[in-house]
Amino acid sequence: MTLPRRQPASVAEQAASFAATAEEHLDDVYAYLVYLTRDRSLAEDLAADTFEKALKHWRRFDASRGSARTWLCQIARTTALDWFRAEERRRRREERAAVPERFEDGGLSPGLSPGLSPELEAALRELSAGEREVIALRVLLELDGDEAARVLGISPTAVSTRLSRALKKLEEKVSIHV
Amino acid sequence: MSETLLNEIRATKPEAPSALRERVRALSVQEHAREPFLDRLRFTWGWRRLALAVPATVVVAFAAAGVIGLSRDGARDQVSAVGGGDTAVTSSTFEQAQAEDSAAPKAASPALPSRATGIVPPATGQLQRYEAELRLQVDDVEALSTATKRAQQIARSHDGSIASLQYDAPSEGVGTAQITLRVPTARVQSAMAQLSQLGTIVGQRYGIDDLQAQADSLQSQIEATQRQIAQLVSRLQSTTLSDAERAVLQSRLSNARTKLTGLREELRGTNAEARTATIYLTMTTEEIQAVPVGGGRLDGVKDVLAWEAIALLYALVVVGPFLIVGVIVWLMLRLRRRHVETRLLEQN
Repeated sequence: MTLPRRQPASVAEQAASFAATAEEHLDDVYAYLVYLTRDRSLAEDLAADTFEKALKHWRRFDASRGSARTWLCQIARTTALDWFRAEERRRRREERAAVPERFEDGGLSPGLSPGLSPELEAALRELSAGEREVIALRVLLELDGDEAARVLGISPTAVSTRLSRALKKLEEKVSIHV
Repeated sequence: MSETLLNEIRATKPEAPSALRERVRALSVQEHAREPFLDRLRFTWGWRRLALAVPATVVVAFAAAGVIGLSRDGARDQVSAVGGGDTAVTSSTFEQAQAEDSAAPKAASPALPSRATGIVPPATGQLQRYEAELRLQVDDVEALSTATKRAQQIARSHDGSIASLQYDAPSEGVGTAQITLRVPTARVQSAMAQLSQLGTIVGQRYGIDDLQAQADSLQSQIEATQRQIAQLVSRLQSTTLSDAERAVLQSRLSNARTKLTGLREELRGTNAEARTATIYLTMTTEEIQAVPVGGGRLDGVKDVLAWEAIALLYALVVVGPFLIVGVIVWLMLRLRRRHVETRLLEQN
Protein backbone atom coordinates (compact mmCIF):
# COMPACT_ATOMS: atom_id res chain seq x y z
CA MET A 1 0.00 0.00 0.00
CA THR A 2 1.34 3.45 -0.81
CA LEU A 3 0.24 6.39 1.23
CA PRO A 4 1.09 9.84 -0.13
CA ARG A 5 2.94 12.25 2.13
CA ARG A 6 1.50 15.66 2.74
CA GLN A 7 3.48 18.86 2.52
CA PRO A 8 4.49 20.34 5.89
CA ALA A 9 2.51 23.22 7.32
CA SER A 10 3.15 26.44 5.49
CA VAL A 11 3.50 29.87 7.01
CA ALA A 12 0.59 31.03 4.86
CA GLU A 13 -1.56 28.52 6.64
CA GLN A 14 -0.97 30.35 9.88
CA ALA A 15 -1.95 33.63 8.34
CA ALA A 16 -5.14 32.27 6.86
CA SER A 17 -8.22 33.25 8.71
CA PHE A 18 -10.08 30.77 10.82
CA ALA A 19 -12.99 30.83 8.38
CA ALA A 20 -10.83 29.74 5.47
CA THR A 21 -9.13 27.06 7.55
CA ALA A 22 -12.45 25.73 8.81
CA GLU A 23 -13.86 25.64 5.31
CA GLU A 24 -10.78 23.85 4.00
CA HIS A 25 -10.62 21.14 6.65
CA LEU A 26 -14.26 20.68 7.59
CA ASP A 27 -14.68 17.55 5.48
CA ASP A 28 -11.51 15.99 6.88
CA VAL A 29 -12.52 16.61 10.48
CA TYR A 30 -16.03 15.35 9.84
CA ALA A 31 -14.83 12.22 8.03
CA TYR A 32 -12.38 11.47 10.85
CA LEU A 33 -15.13 11.82 13.44
CA VAL A 34 -17.52 9.66 11.42
CA TYR A 35 -14.96 6.87 11.38
CA LEU A 36 -14.15 7.35 15.05
CA THR A 37 -17.76 7.33 16.29
CA ARG A 38 -19.47 5.24 13.55
CA ASP A 39 -22.30 7.75 13.82
CA ARG A 40 -22.75 10.53 11.27
CA SER A 41 -25.17 12.62 13.30
CA LEU A 42 -22.95 12.36 16.37
CA ALA A 43 -19.95 13.21 14.21
CA GLU A 44 -21.79 16.28 13.02
CA ASP A 45 -22.32 17.52 16.57
CA LEU A 46 -18.77 16.69 17.58
CA ALA A 47 -17.41 18.46 14.49
CA ALA A 48 -19.36 21.59 15.42
CA ASP A 49 -17.97 21.36 18.97
CA THR A 50 -14.51 20.87 17.55
CA PHE A 51 -14.65 24.03 15.47
CA GLU A 52 -16.12 25.97 18.35
CA LYS A 53 -13.16 24.94 20.52
CA ALA A 54 -10.78 25.64 17.67
CA LEU A 55 -12.17 29.13 17.27
CA LYS A 56 -11.72 29.73 21.00
CA HIS A 57 -8.07 28.70 20.80
CA TRP A 58 -7.30 29.93 17.29
CA ARG A 59 -4.76 32.45 18.56
CA ARG A 60 -2.73 29.67 20.13
CA PHE A 61 -2.41 27.78 16.86
CA ASP A 62 1.24 27.71 15.78
CA ALA A 63 1.70 26.64 12.14
CA SER A 64 5.38 25.95 12.74
CA ARG A 65 4.45 23.12 15.10
CA GLY A 66 2.13 21.34 12.71
CA SER A 67 -0.52 21.87 10.08
CA ALA A 68 -3.95 23.27 10.84
CA ARG A 69 -5.47 19.96 9.82
CA THR A 70 -3.37 18.08 12.38
CA TRP A 71 -4.27 20.62 15.02
CA LEU A 72 -7.99 20.35 14.19
CA CYS A 73 -7.83 16.55 14.24
CA GLN A 74 -6.19 16.69 17.68
CA ILE A 75 -9.05 18.84 18.96
CA ALA A 76 -11.58 16.57 17.28
CA ARG A 77 -10.02 13.52 18.91
CA THR A 78 -10.07 15.14 22.36
CA THR A 79 -13.70 16.15 21.81
CA ALA A 80 -14.65 12.61 20.78
CA LEU A 81 -12.80 11.06 23.72
CA ASP A 82 -14.56 13.46 26.07
CA TRP A 83 -17.85 12.34 24.57
CA PHE A 84 -16.89 8.65 24.95
CA ARG A 85 -16.09 9.29 28.61
CA ALA A 86 -19.35 11.12 29.21
CA GLU A 87 -21.22 8.35 27.43
CA GLU A 88 -19.52 5.71 29.53
CA ARG A 89 -20.46 7.55 32.71
CA ARG A 90 -24.04 7.88 31.49
CA ARG A 91 -24.18 4.17 30.69
CA ARG A 92 -22.89 3.26 34.15
CA ARG A 93 -25.47 5.50 35.80
CA GLU A 94 -28.22 3.89 33.76
CA GLU A 95 -26.95 0.41 34.54
CA ARG A 96 -27.03 1.23 38.25
CA ALA A 97 -30.57 2.58 37.85
CA ALA A 98 -31.50 -0.61 35.93
CA VAL A 99 -32.62 1.34 32.91
CA PRO A 100 -31.43 -0.75 29.99
CA GLU A 101 -31.06 2.19 27.62
CA ARG A 102 -27.62 2.57 26.16
CA PHE A 103 -25.89 4.04 23.25
CA GLU A 104 -26.48 1.75 20.30
CA ASP A 105 -23.50 1.45 18.08
CA GLY A 106 -24.99 2.79 14.91
CA GLY A 107 -28.10 0.67 14.96
CA LEU A 108 -30.37 3.37 13.61
CA SER A 109 -27.73 5.79 12.43
CA PRO A 110 -27.00 6.00 8.74
CA GLY A 111 -23.91 4.25 7.33
CA LEU A 112 -20.39 5.57 7.62
CA SER A 113 -20.46 6.74 4.06
CA PRO A 114 -23.12 6.33 1.37
CA GLY A 115 -20.80 4.78 -1.23
CA LEU A 116 -19.23 2.08 0.96
CA SER A 117 -19.99 -1.52 0.05
CA PRO A 118 -22.01 -3.35 2.77
CA GLU A 119 -19.13 -5.76 3.43
CA LEU A 120 -16.59 -2.97 3.98
CA GLU A 121 -19.12 -0.97 6.00
CA ALA A 122 -19.80 -3.96 8.24
CA ALA A 123 -16.09 -4.76 8.57
CA LEU A 124 -15.28 -1.17 9.52
CA ARG A 125 -18.05 -1.13 12.10
CA GLU A 126 -16.60 -4.24 13.72
CA LEU A 127 -13.22 -2.61 14.20
CA SER A 128 -12.50 -0.75 17.42
CA ALA A 129 -12.48 3.04 17.47
CA GLY A 130 -8.70 2.95 17.83
CA GLU A 131 -8.38 0.85 14.70
CA ARG A 132 -10.85 2.92 12.72
CA GLU A 133 -9.20 6.21 13.65
CA VAL A 134 -5.77 5.13 12.42
CA ILE A 135 -7.36 4.04 9.12
CA ALA A 136 -9.19 7.35 8.93
CA LEU A 137 -6.07 9.38 9.52
CA ARG A 138 -3.68 7.44 7.29
CA VAL A 139 -6.00 6.23 4.52
CA LEU A 140 -8.96 8.56 4.44
CA LEU A 141 -7.24 11.84 5.32
CA GLU A 142 -3.90 10.69 3.92
CA LEU A 143 -1.87 12.14 6.78
CA ASP A 144 1.76 11.07 6.83
CA GLY A 145 3.16 8.99 9.69
CA ASP A 146 4.46 11.97 11.66
CA GLU A 147 1.20 13.90 11.43
CA ALA A 148 -0.87 10.88 12.43
CA ALA A 149 1.51 10.22 15.30
CA ARG A 150 1.05 13.81 16.50
CA VAL A 151 -2.73 13.46 16.44
CA LEU A 152 -2.69 10.13 18.27
CA GLY A 153 0.05 11.07 20.71
CA ILE A 154 2.18 8.06 19.88
CA SER A 155 5.35 7.44 17.88
CA PRO A 156 5.32 7.12 14.06
CA THR A 157 6.49 3.53 14.43
CA ALA A 158 3.54 2.77 16.69
CA VAL A 159 1.26 4.36 14.10
CA SER A 160 2.67 2.06 11.39
CA THR A 161 2.20 -0.99 13.59
CA ARG A 162 -1.33 0.01 14.56
CA LEU A 163 -2.26 0.73 10.93
CA SER A 164 -0.84 -2.55 9.72
CA ARG A 165 -2.81 -4.53 12.32
CA ALA A 166 -5.99 -2.56 11.65
CA LEU A 167 -5.81 -3.10 7.88
CA LYS A 168 -5.09 -6.80 8.33
CA LYS A 169 -8.06 -7.14 10.65
CA LEU A 170 -10.23 -5.16 8.25
CA GLU A 171 -9.28 -7.43 5.36
CA GLU A 172 -10.08 -10.51 7.42
CA LYS A 173 -13.46 -9.14 8.38
CA VAL A 174 -14.26 -8.10 4.81
CA SER A 175 -13.43 -11.62 3.61
CA ILE A 176 -15.76 -13.05 6.27
CA HIS A 177 -18.62 -10.78 5.22
CA VAL A 178 -18.09 -11.59 1.57
CA MET B 1 -4.59 -5.33 2.16
CA SER B 2 -5.95 -4.92 -1.30
CA GLU B 3 -5.57 -1.57 -2.97
CA THR B 4 -9.22 -1.86 -4.05
CA LEU B 5 -10.43 -1.62 -0.46
CA LEU B 6 -8.19 1.35 0.26
CA ASN B 7 -9.39 3.08 -2.88
CA GLU B 8 -12.95 2.39 -1.89
CA ILE B 9 -12.37 3.94 1.52
CA ARG B 10 -10.78 6.99 -0.08
CA ALA B 11 -13.44 7.30 -2.75
CA THR B 12 -16.28 7.16 -0.28
CA LYS B 13 -14.90 9.74 2.15
CA PRO B 14 -17.81 11.22 4.13
CA GLU B 15 -18.54 14.81 3.30
CA ALA B 16 -19.74 17.31 5.84
CA PRO B 17 -23.50 17.87 5.49
CA SER B 18 -24.62 21.34 4.50
CA ALA B 19 -26.17 21.90 7.93
CA LEU B 20 -22.79 21.39 9.61
CA ARG B 21 -21.12 23.57 7.01
CA GLU B 22 -23.57 26.36 7.82
CA ARG B 23 -23.00 25.93 11.57
CA VAL B 24 -19.26 26.24 11.14
CA ARG B 25 -19.65 29.22 8.82
CA ALA B 26 -21.85 30.88 11.41
CA LEU B 27 -19.10 30.28 13.96
CA SER B 28 -16.50 31.77 11.66
CA VAL B 29 -18.53 34.95 11.23
CA GLN B 30 -18.20 35.48 14.98
CA GLU B 31 -14.45 35.13 14.73
CA HIS B 32 -13.58 38.78 15.18
CA ALA B 33 -16.50 39.67 17.39
CA ARG B 34 -15.70 36.90 19.89
CA GLU B 35 -11.98 37.32 19.93
CA PRO B 36 -11.32 37.94 23.62
CA PHE B 37 -9.21 40.99 24.41
CA LEU B 38 -7.02 38.99 26.78
CA ASP B 39 -6.33 36.41 24.07
CA ARG B 40 -4.66 39.13 22.03
CA LEU B 41 -2.40 39.91 24.97
CA ARG B 42 -1.81 36.30 25.96
CA PHE B 43 1.83 35.37 26.28
CA THR B 44 2.21 31.69 25.77
CA TRP B 45 5.31 30.01 27.11
CA GLY B 46 6.46 27.74 24.38
CA TRP B 47 9.48 25.50 24.71
CA ARG B 48 11.43 27.85 22.47
CA ARG B 49 10.77 30.78 24.75
CA LEU B 50 11.75 28.67 27.76
CA ALA B 51 14.91 27.62 25.96
CA LEU B 52 15.73 31.32 25.56
CA ALA B 53 14.81 32.10 29.16
CA VAL B 54 17.48 29.78 30.60
CA PRO B 55 20.53 31.47 28.96
CA ALA B 56 18.91 34.86 29.59
CA THR B 57 18.67 34.05 33.31
CA VAL B 58 22.30 32.96 33.36
CA VAL B 59 23.34 36.21 31.66
CA VAL B 60 21.31 38.26 34.18
CA ALA B 61 22.88 36.31 37.07
CA PHE B 62 26.39 37.03 35.77
CA ALA B 63 25.58 40.67 35.09
CA ALA B 64 24.14 41.11 38.59
CA ALA B 65 27.20 39.43 40.09
CA GLY B 66 29.45 41.73 38.06
CA VAL B 67 27.65 44.91 39.07
CA ILE B 68 27.33 44.00 42.76
CA GLY B 69 30.80 42.46 43.00
CA LEU B 70 32.62 45.32 41.29
CA SER B 71 30.73 47.98 43.25
CA ARG B 72 31.70 46.18 46.48
CA ASP B 73 35.33 46.14 45.37
CA GLY B 74 35.13 49.85 44.71
CA ALA B 75 33.82 50.54 48.18
CA ARG B 76 36.55 48.38 49.71
CA ASP B 77 39.23 50.25 47.74
CA GLN B 78 37.93 53.53 49.11
CA VAL B 79 38.17 52.25 52.68
CA SER B 80 41.71 51.03 52.06
CA ALA B 81 42.72 54.38 50.62
CA VAL B 82 41.56 56.08 53.83
CA GLY B 83 43.47 53.54 55.88
CA GLY B 84 46.86 54.28 54.36
CA GLY B 85 49.23 53.65 51.49
CA ASP B 86 48.96 50.98 48.87
CA THR B 87 51.79 48.73 49.99
CA ALA B 88 51.33 44.98 49.97
CA VAL B 89 49.94 44.22 53.39
CA THR B 90 48.71 40.99 54.83
CA SER B 91 46.05 40.25 57.34
CA SER B 92 47.74 37.33 59.00
CA THR B 93 45.92 34.65 60.86
CA PHE B 94 47.08 35.69 64.26
CA GLU B 95 45.98 39.27 63.82
CA GLN B 96 42.57 38.05 62.74
CA ALA B 97 42.39 36.01 65.92
CA GLN B 98 43.13 39.13 67.92
CA ALA B 99 40.42 41.18 66.30
CA GLU B 100 38.08 41.72 69.20
CA ASP B 101 36.26 44.47 71.01
CA SER B 102 38.47 47.33 72.23
CA ALA B 103 36.54 47.69 75.50
CA ALA B 104 37.34 44.13 76.49
CA PRO B 105 40.42 43.07 78.43
CA LYS B 106 43.67 42.27 76.70
CA ALA B 107 42.69 38.82 75.57
CA ALA B 108 40.01 40.44 73.49
CA SER B 109 41.71 43.05 71.37
CA PRO B 110 39.86 45.43 69.08
CA ALA B 111 39.31 44.77 65.41
CA LEU B 112 42.56 45.31 63.62
CA PRO B 113 42.82 47.42 60.50
CA SER B 114 44.85 45.82 57.76
CA ARG B 115 47.43 48.62 57.63
CA ALA B 116 49.65 49.84 60.43
CA THR B 117 48.79 53.46 59.70
CA GLY B 118 45.14 52.60 60.23
CA ILE B 119 45.79 51.25 63.73
CA VAL B 120 43.18 52.25 66.27
CA PRO B 121 44.61 55.06 68.46
CA PRO B 122 44.51 54.86 72.25
CA ALA B 123 41.54 56.55 73.85
CA THR B 124 42.26 60.05 75.16
CA GLY B 125 41.29 60.86 78.75
CA GLN B 126 41.18 57.16 79.56
CA LEU B 127 43.96 55.23 81.22
CA GLN B 128 44.90 52.23 79.11
CA ARG B 129 47.73 49.77 78.81
CA TYR B 130 48.56 49.81 75.10
CA GLU B 131 50.63 47.07 73.46
CA ALA B 132 51.28 46.59 69.77
CA GLU B 133 53.09 43.90 67.84
CA LEU B 134 54.46 44.42 64.38
CA ARG B 135 56.12 41.82 62.16
CA LEU B 136 58.05 43.04 59.17
CA GLN B 137 59.88 41.32 56.37
CA VAL B 138 63.06 42.98 55.10
CA ASP B 139 65.03 42.14 51.97
CA ASP B 140 68.33 40.96 53.45
CA VAL B 141 70.68 41.13 56.44
CA GLU B 142 71.97 44.56 55.43
CA ALA B 143 68.42 45.91 55.28
CA LEU B 144 67.79 44.24 58.64
CA SER B 145 70.70 46.10 60.20
CA THR B 146 69.61 49.41 58.73
CA ALA B 147 66.01 48.84 59.85
CA THR B 148 67.13 47.96 63.39
CA LYS B 149 69.10 51.20 63.69
CA ARG B 150 66.20 53.14 62.23
CA ALA B 151 63.79 51.55 64.74
CA GLN B 152 65.96 52.81 67.61
CA GLN B 153 65.98 56.29 66.06
CA ILE B 154 62.21 56.20 65.74
CA ALA B 155 61.87 55.26 69.41
CA ARG B 156 64.10 58.16 70.47
CA SER B 157 62.42 60.64 68.13
CA HIS B 158 59.14 59.80 69.80
CA ASP B 159 60.56 60.41 73.28
CA GLY B 160 60.64 56.68 73.78
CA SER B 161 63.29 54.10 74.55
CA ILE B 162 64.41 50.59 73.68
CA ALA B 163 63.45 48.16 76.41
CA SER B 164 65.15 45.18 74.81
CA LEU B 165 66.85 44.30 71.57
CA GLN B 166 67.87 40.93 70.16
CA TYR B 167 69.65 41.02 66.86
CA ASP B 168 70.69 37.86 65.04
CA ALA B 169 72.16 38.23 61.58
CA PRO B 170 74.17 35.18 60.50
CA SER B 171 76.16 35.31 57.27
CA GLU B 172 73.89 32.62 55.89
CA GLY B 173 70.33 31.83 56.77
CA VAL B 174 67.55 33.90 58.19
CA GLY B 175 68.33 37.13 60.03
CA THR B 176 66.02 38.30 62.79
CA ALA B 177 65.75 41.32 65.03
CA GLN B 178 63.39 41.50 67.99
CA ILE B 179 63.02 44.92 69.53
CA THR B 180 60.80 46.05 72.38
CA LEU B 181 60.16 49.78 72.21
CA ARG B 182 58.47 51.98 74.77
CA VAL B 183 56.99 55.20 73.47
CA PRO B 184 54.48 57.63 74.93
CA THR B 185 51.00 56.30 74.32
CA ALA B 186 49.97 59.59 72.79
CA ARG B 187 52.57 59.07 70.05
CA VAL B 188 52.23 55.35 69.44
CA GLN B 189 50.24 55.85 66.27
CA SER B 190 52.95 57.94 64.67
CA ALA B 191 55.64 55.52 65.82
CA MET B 192 53.76 52.53 64.37
CA ALA B 193 53.33 54.36 61.09
CA GLN B 194 57.04 55.02 60.80
CA LEU B 195 58.03 51.54 61.92
CA SER B 196 55.73 49.96 59.35
CA GLN B 197 57.75 51.71 56.64
CA LEU B 198 60.87 49.71 57.55
CA GLY B 199 59.71 46.63 55.65
CA THR B 200 56.77 44.73 54.34
CA ILE B 201 54.18 44.08 57.01
CA VAL B 202 53.51 40.39 57.36
CA GLY B 203 51.53 40.66 60.57
CA GLN B 204 50.41 43.05 63.20
CA ARG B 205 48.21 43.11 66.27
CA TYR B 206 47.62 45.22 69.28
CA GLY B 207 45.98 44.91 72.64
CA ILE B 208 44.45 47.41 74.99
CA ASP B 209 43.88 46.89 78.72
CA ASP B 210 41.59 49.21 80.60
CA LEU B 211 43.56 50.72 83.52
CA GLN B 212 41.03 53.41 84.37
CA ALA B 213 39.01 51.18 86.68
CA GLN B 214 42.15 50.11 88.49
CA ALA B 215 43.26 53.75 88.85
CA ASP B 216 39.85 54.82 90.11
CA SER B 217 39.89 52.01 92.66
CA LEU B 218 43.33 53.01 93.88
CA GLN B 219 42.27 56.65 94.11
CA SER B 220 39.25 55.83 96.26
CA GLN B 221 41.40 53.60 98.51
CA ILE B 222 43.88 56.45 98.90
CA GLU B 223 41.09 58.85 99.85
CA ALA B 224 39.65 56.37 102.36
CA THR B 225 43.06 55.80 103.90
CA GLN B 226 43.60 59.56 104.13
CA ARG B 227 40.28 59.93 105.97
CA GLN B 228 41.26 57.09 108.30
CA ILE B 229 44.61 58.77 109.04
CA ALA B 230 42.87 62.10 109.76
CA GLN B 231 40.51 60.39 112.21
CA LEU B 232 43.37 58.59 113.95
CA VAL B 233 45.35 61.82 114.25
CA SER B 234 42.30 63.55 115.69
CA ARG B 235 41.71 60.83 118.26
CA LEU B 236 45.38 60.83 119.30
CA GLN B 237 45.09 64.53 120.15
CA SER B 238 42.61 63.67 122.92
CA THR B 239 43.99 63.94 126.49
CA THR B 240 41.67 61.32 127.94
CA LEU B 241 43.32 58.36 126.21
CA SER B 242 44.94 55.72 128.31
CA ASP B 243 48.47 54.63 127.43
CA ALA B 244 47.25 51.34 126.05
CA GLU B 245 44.65 53.00 123.82
CA ARG B 246 47.17 55.52 122.60
CA ALA B 247 49.59 52.74 121.70
CA VAL B 248 46.92 50.91 119.66
CA LEU B 249 45.96 54.09 117.79
CA GLN B 250 49.61 54.89 117.10
CA SER B 251 50.04 51.45 115.62
CA ARG B 252 46.98 51.84 113.42
CA LEU B 253 48.15 55.25 112.23
CA SER B 254 51.51 53.84 111.29
CA ASN B 255 49.91 51.02 109.30
CA ALA B 256 47.58 53.45 107.54
CA ARG B 257 50.46 55.69 106.52
CA THR B 258 52.38 52.70 105.17
CA LYS B 259 49.32 51.59 103.25
CA LEU B 260 48.83 55.10 101.85
CA THR B 261 52.40 55.20 100.63
CA GLY B 262 51.94 51.84 98.89
CA LEU B 263 48.69 52.91 97.26
CA ARG B 264 50.25 56.12 95.97
CA GLU B 265 53.15 54.15 94.53
CA GLU B 266 50.76 51.79 92.84
CA LEU B 267 48.73 54.68 91.37
CA ARG B 268 51.88 56.32 90.08
CA GLY B 269 52.89 53.03 88.45
CA THR B 270 49.48 52.65 86.84
CA ASN B 271 49.63 56.17 85.48
CA ALA B 272 53.14 55.59 84.19
CA GLU B 273 52.02 52.35 82.53
CA ALA B 274 49.15 54.19 80.84
CA ARG B 275 51.45 56.93 79.59
CA THR B 276 53.81 54.52 77.86
CA ALA B 277 52.91 52.06 75.12
CA THR B 278 54.95 48.95 74.34
CA ILE B 279 55.70 47.97 70.77
CA TYR B 280 57.08 44.53 70.04
CA LEU B 281 58.82 44.81 66.70
CA THR B 282 60.02 41.68 64.91
CA MET B 283 61.92 41.97 61.66
CA THR B 284 63.06 39.02 59.59
CA THR B 285 64.71 38.32 56.30
CA GLU B 286 62.67 35.13 55.91
CA GLU B 287 60.49 35.28 52.84
CA ILE B 288 56.84 35.10 53.81
CA GLN B 289 54.17 34.90 51.18
CA ALA B 290 52.06 38.02 51.46
CA VAL B 291 48.42 37.56 50.66
CA PRO B 292 47.07 40.78 49.17
CA VAL B 293 44.21 42.21 51.15
CA GLY B 294 40.92 41.95 49.31
CA GLY B 295 42.33 39.86 46.47
CA GLY B 296 41.70 40.75 42.86
CA ARG B 297 38.91 42.89 41.51
CA LEU B 298 37.01 39.81 40.46
CA ASP B 299 36.85 38.40 44.01
CA GLY B 300 33.63 40.29 44.68
CA VAL B 301 32.12 38.95 41.48
CA LYS B 302 33.16 35.43 42.46
CA ASP B 303 31.62 35.90 45.90
CA VAL B 304 28.30 37.06 44.47
CA LEU B 305 28.32 34.20 41.95
CA ALA B 306 29.03 31.77 44.76
CA TRP B 307 26.10 33.16 46.74
CA GLU B 308 23.88 32.92 43.68
CA ALA B 309 24.93 29.30 43.25
CA ILE B 310 24.23 28.63 46.93
CA ALA B 311 20.80 30.26 46.62
CA LEU B 312 20.07 28.19 43.51
CA LEU B 313 21.21 25.01 45.24
CA TYR B 314 19.09 25.87 48.28
CA ALA B 315 16.08 26.52 46.07
CA LEU B 316 16.66 23.21 44.30
CA VAL B 317 16.99 21.34 47.59
CA VAL B 318 13.78 22.93 48.88
CA VAL B 319 11.76 22.82 45.66
CA GLY B 320 13.36 19.69 44.20
CA PRO B 321 11.36 17.08 46.11
CA PHE B 322 8.11 18.89 45.27
CA LEU B 323 9.16 19.07 41.62
CA ILE B 324 9.95 15.36 41.55
CA VAL B 325 6.63 14.50 43.21
CA GLY B 326 4.85 16.83 40.77
CA VAL B 327 6.51 15.21 37.77
CA ILE B 328 5.68 11.71 39.08
CA VAL B 329 2.05 12.69 39.65
CA TRP B 330 1.89 14.27 36.20
CA LEU B 331 3.36 11.14 34.59
CA MET B 332 0.95 8.89 36.49
CA LEU B 333 -2.05 10.99 35.46
CA ARG B 334 -0.83 10.99 31.88
CA LEU B 335 -0.38 7.23 31.94
CA ARG B 336 -3.83 6.75 33.45
CA ARG B 337 -5.39 9.06 30.88
CA ARG B 338 -3.65 7.17 28.10
CA HIS B 339 -4.90 3.89 29.55
CA VAL B 340 -8.47 5.18 29.78
CA GLU B 341 -8.31 6.50 26.22
CA THR B 342 -7.04 3.18 24.92
CA ARG B 343 -9.84 1.36 26.71
CA LEU B 344 -12.45 3.77 25.37
CA LEU B 345 -11.12 3.40 21.83
CA GLU B 346 -11.20 -0.38 22.13
CA GLN B 347 -14.75 -0.42 23.50
CA ASN B 348 -16.30 1.86 20.88
